Amino acid sequence: MKKIFEVARWEYIEKVKTKTFIISLILTPAVLILFSIAPTLLSEQEVSNTKAIGIIDTSGLYIREMKEKLSDYKIKDSQPNYLLINLTAKNRLLEDLKKFSDKEALKGKIEGYILIENAGTDSVAVSYRSKTLGNLRDISRFQSSFNEVRIKLKLDKENVNPYLLDFISQSVEMNQIKIEEGGRETENDFLLTFFSSFIFIMLLMMMILYSGGMLIRSLVEEKSNRLIEIIISSCTPNELLSGKILGLSALGLTQIFIWILIGISLAGTAVVPLEAFQNVLPILVYFVLGFVFYTSLFVGIGSIVTSEQEAQQITTYLSFLLVLPIIFVLPALENPDTLYIKILSYIPFTLPSFMMLRLNISPIPAWEILSTILIMLISIYLMIGFSAKIFRIGILSYGKRPTVKELIQWLKE
Amino acid sequence: MLVVENLRKEYKNVVAVDNISFKVEEGRIFGILGPNGAGKTTTIRTVLSIIKPNSGKISFNGKPITNEFFNIIGYLPEERGLYRKSKVIDVIRYFAGLKKMPRKKANTEARNWLQKLEIEQYMESRIEELSKGNQQKIQFIISVIHNPKLLILDEPFTGFDPISQTLIKEMILSFVTSGKIIILSTHQMETAERLCSDILLMNKGKEVYQGSLNNLKRNFGSNTVKIEFEGDAGFISSLPVVKNTDRYSNYAEVQLNDNINPSEFLRMIVDKVNIKKFSVLEPTLNKIFIDVIKQTQAK
Repeated sequence: MKKIFEVARWEYIEKVKTKTFIISLILTPAVLILFSIAPTLLSEQEVSNTKAIGIIDTSGLYIREMKEKLSDYKIKDSQPNYLLINLTAKNRLLEDLKKFSDKEALKGKIEGYILIENAGTDSVAVSYRSKTLGNLRDISRFQSSFNEVRIKLKLDKENVNPYLLDFISQSVEMNQIKIEEGGRETENDFLLTFFSSFIFIMLLMMMILYSGGMLIRSLVEEKSNRLIEIIISSCTPNELLSGKILGLSALGLTQIFIWILIGISLAGTAVVPLEAFQNVLPILVYFVLGFVFYTSLFVGIGSIVTSEQEAQQITTYLSFLLVLPIIFVLPALENPDTLYIKILSYIPFTLPSFMMLRLNISPIPAWEILSTILIMLISIYLMIGFSAKIFRIGILSYGKRPTVKELIQWLKE
Repeated sequence: MLVVENLRKEYKNVVAVDNISFKVEEGRIFGILGPNGAGKTTTIRTVLSIIKPNSGKISFNGKPITNEFFNIIGYLPEERGLYRKSKVIDVIRYFAGLKKMPRKKANTEARNWLQKLEIEQYMESRIEELSKGNQQKIQFIISVIHNPKLLILDEPFTGFDPISQTLIKEMILSFVTSGKIIILSTHQMETAERLCSDILLMNKGKEVYQGSLNNLKRNFGSNTVKIEFEGDAGFISSLPVVKNTDRYSNYAEVQLNDNINPSEFLRMIVDKVNIKKFSVLEPTLNKIFIDVIKQTQAK
């Protein structure tokens, strides 16, 4: 036992000090935050000054109403978001107006302009012309404003009650409520669930890849300079293997602990919504179990690798296995009760990520949580046994990578 | 006493070690010699229980080897290398810890050894900052820091400069007086000659010779002398005591018949040619290897 701790302490302390660890510690959450939150933040922040938007409407029917509608959109300091400029000049052909306005847009004097053609008829057409394709949100605002005005004009003409007019232009959004045992209910946001599941799976994957890579590299180093022989003449292969798994798991826990600290300090802010921390306890259990499982696998596989290149190849193959759950995030979200999602959440390789995913989507009965945890524990036990058999021989075979047949032979010994 | 009996290790299509037996007593240095692929390293690994033999018995002081044995073995493998990015003191402490040495004791012993090998100034340096020779010294320290009863050294001198070689040689000799069992595997005849009391010569997994080194040289020596001279030495090759001559412009290597003593031969030629230097050529280990291989093939 003492030797296991000796190995674990060495693996832990030497790896905690490495640059790779420190970088992955900070970089991983940073990358995730960047990918999940930044796009929204960026597009929201973009609006810092009023946009000058032109409008051409030779009929003159829409201009006043459009101005009114668009002035409802404000940016900070209650400045208007859009300044609508009427580019329609009397007694000029539409073609000339277009030519002139295009020039203005290209020169950058206006952001772009709304062109309304055939106004007052049923075949009215509207387009937004600008140098660059417009911001999606701007376009949808212009479009809905225009349509509201169009309906209003028509109803006015037919002398419809203005109250009815308001009623028609309002639409009701459907709320999604996730119900749980014990009367708890939470308002559910599809995107939020997606991102919080996605973040945990990504974190697990990146962590396994980082530390698995580190593990394989250090095994290759020990093999290539025959340090392994000194170690194996000091302790049994099983002690070495257990020590390595223990040390690396401690490393993983340190990483999770620091990430949780980061998470808590950011919780409730725009960056990490509080809802991402639902079910955090069972998710952590799966996270840790998944990490230990894959670490045990990496130790076994790492022991047969003989060079840095091979190490890279193998890490790549294994990473495909790890990316797999990400592909299923969307279908699982849409339909968490599908049979194959359930099956995948009982196979040890994919179990942790799929359970994390399902926990986020819908309530999971206690028996299922307990049985999957049990499966994971048994799988870890079996995986360590499997790795130990390969490890024993693998660490002492140099030069040639063993064939599958040889591996099976080792497992039988 | 370390006793190895009828050791045999087979791999898929080769017998790496074939029925090897030997004994090493306390305070003796036992040399295992042989060409590449002779089975030296496999023998060593089996003794270290890094690999399991197919058959054979290894015992230490009458007891079979168990896991407790780990803590009294010191091993210096032939291929060197350490954790490059780690600190010298940390690496030494780690390996001492693996031998169940208490941390405090490991610290003081590490300091002692670094002092003895004159590299204490590198205690806090990273391994990769050290020269190759100094890295090897660290590796030597790792193999001896826990005061092992059995020390196995595989080519301990390669890569050291002459000063360090002498330093290490002195260390090894001091272990002899403190009653350690030492197994040394080497290619260097000179080293084996100075240090080993007994040797085992192996080829293709089999024992070729076991006993004292002097005997071996007598068995495989070719009774050859080297003469440097001035004048015409053409007559030498026609002498009846000469088996074979290799003549160059101002020196010759002469192989004598087995029953002729080199000094007898010197008397025969000393008046006839101006001799500048006369020496008896010791067979190199290399030569012995070649002869051995030839002999075993002839059988």
